[in-house]
Amino acid sequence: MHIVVCMKQVPRDNSVKINPDLSINADGIEKIINLFDEYAVEEGLAWNEQHGGKLTILSMGGDEWVEQMRRALAMGATDALLLRDPAFASLDTLAAAKVVAAAIRKLGDVDLIFTGRNSTDDESGAFAPALARTLGWPQLTYVGKVLSVDPAAKTIIAERHLEAVMETVRAPLPAVVSVIKDINSPRYPSLLKIKKVARVEPPVWSAADLGVGELASAATVAARVPPPARTKGELIDGPDAAAKVKKLVDRLLESQII
Amino acid sequence: MSGVLVIIEQVDGGVAALSRELLGKGKELAAVLGGALSAVVIGANVAALAQQAAGLGATTVYTVEDASLAAYTTDGYVAAARAAVDTAQPALILAGASFQMRDFGAALAADLDAGLAVDVTDLRTEGGALSAMRPSHGGNVLNTYSFAAGRPVVALARKQSFAPAQEGGAGSVQSLPMPATTIRTEVQSVAPKSGAVNLSDAAIIVSGGRGLGDKESYYRLIPPLAEALGGAYGASRAIVDAGWVPYEHQVGQTGKTVSPKLYVACGISGAIQHLAGMRSSRNIVAINRDAEAPIFRSANFGVVGDVKELLPLLTEELKARLGR
Repeated sequence: MHIVVCMKQVPRDNSVKINPDLSINADGIEKIINLFDEYAVEEGLAWNEQHGGKLTILSMGGDEWVEQMRRALAMGATDALLLRDPAFASLDTLAAAKVVAAAIRKLGDVDLIFTGRNSTDDESGAFAPALARTLGWPQLTYVGKVLSVDPAAKTIIAERHLEAVMETVRAPLPAVVSVIKDINSPRYPSLLKIKKVARVEPPVWSAADLGVGELASAATVAARVPPPARTKGELIDGPDAAAKVKKLVDRLLESQII
Repeated sequence: MSGVLVIIEQVDGGVAALSRELLGKGKELAAVLGGALSAVVIGANVAALAQQAAGLGATTVYTVEDASLAAYTTDGYVAAARAAVDTAQPALILAGASFQMRDFGAALAADLDAGLAVDVTDLRTEGGALSAMRPSHGGNVLNTYSFAAGRPVVALARKQSFAPAQEGGAGSVQSLPMPATTIRTEVQSVAPKSGAVNLSDAAIIVSGGRGLGDKESYYRLIPPLAEALGGAYGASRAIVDAGWVPYEHQVGQTGKTVSPKLYVACGISGAIQHLAGMRSSRNIVAINRDAEAPIFRSANFGVVGDVKELLPLLTEELKARLGR
């Protein structure tokens, strides 16, 4: 079977700045595989090992993204594909999903797509549902455990872990699955494998290759600011621990916080 | 295309607090943007819920009732919502930002080729145009989105962003047939999560971190303090990764995002990943041995000291003063 993992590169932490043109400035912050996508890569690898076939890492971004794609190849992915075009630079999530859907259709033989529940920078969690609907495939989001993938019967059964309940859901393949943290333990690529893929250049598909025409985003960023600073807090002091505790409880009660 | 449509969610058979907030904001926005405020109630048995929603300011409450809607499925709920969308032709569709509503809202937006904003904390109008505010990057960036003309907007809002609708409206209830649709997924079971901690709903959260020293100290100090405050207990990523506390309790960028009335951070230094998950709390108390810990910069009240000494005293003091 052919499994695709949609993977995004993100800054390791979110101490980002805002450029004058409102784009995000993450200069000087290490770039990593989006944490939830790393679990998606591991889940893809596990089912690829069981059923064979291809495991393709698919990313949309610039050349600098290739580094993280190589890491996924070193983890064991068989193929990689980069979607790169200036037209993809500032798409909203739904428009980005249209581009990725076009690539999935062009690949033609994809049975199953794994991706993270959301990216740790944008945090919307809209990509997996948008991709599924654009493809016309069923979706299983917030999956904490995949119980079975049956390529012959073309089904997947998985547990969706929501805030307070857990659902067990069966979907026909092909399907889009988004995974949460702790669904598995992502493997570390060996140094030998990292060396082996160090020069791999994934094929690149452009907007023209994909035949995607006008990609007008419905949502655009009109303003971007840092959060307002919190008013300076109050340090609770006292001669000893008991005095500090009493003063803290006094202040919480006075302020009607408790 | 005009007016506002609210997707009603239910909690314990009643209209969810968040849906009331959306009805309150929806009414205000409809008055400015033009058109009516309507709502849709989706499910297998929703008559009582629809009556309740009709008293909360919507002109029309649509119901889409079908046995196939007993459990949530993306296909079923999106098809049902489409029945209301196609009837009301709203410019703006409002729903909550829970996991299930993200699954639903993003799918609906994709089907409608709509503008989408998730985790919305404010909605504004200027010159008849709608804009949506949402945080990203762990709360380090506040984005204002504007939307292309002629396409509807789906906004998924965070709890407690808007004032709830007042009781006393007298809207009409209109039943819509469930559109013919194939529900491709089969929900085999729905069960409450074992040991589920709904941190997202807790009004008070007490969280612990590395400063507690070990797992035993966490369980000896944190849950009793949470109990004394009538709250839930959370944890930093560091101690979840160390295996002290299950992932369910993790607050932060890769765990839960919470905004309780009171957040008490005990022995948590305040790494940016943790702040991402709790900085929108209304009140923050930080207790830490290190006076230079970044958590103090986000706290309303800070206590510098040893958590192992302070927390037992705090729990006893609260028990005595709050009578729990």
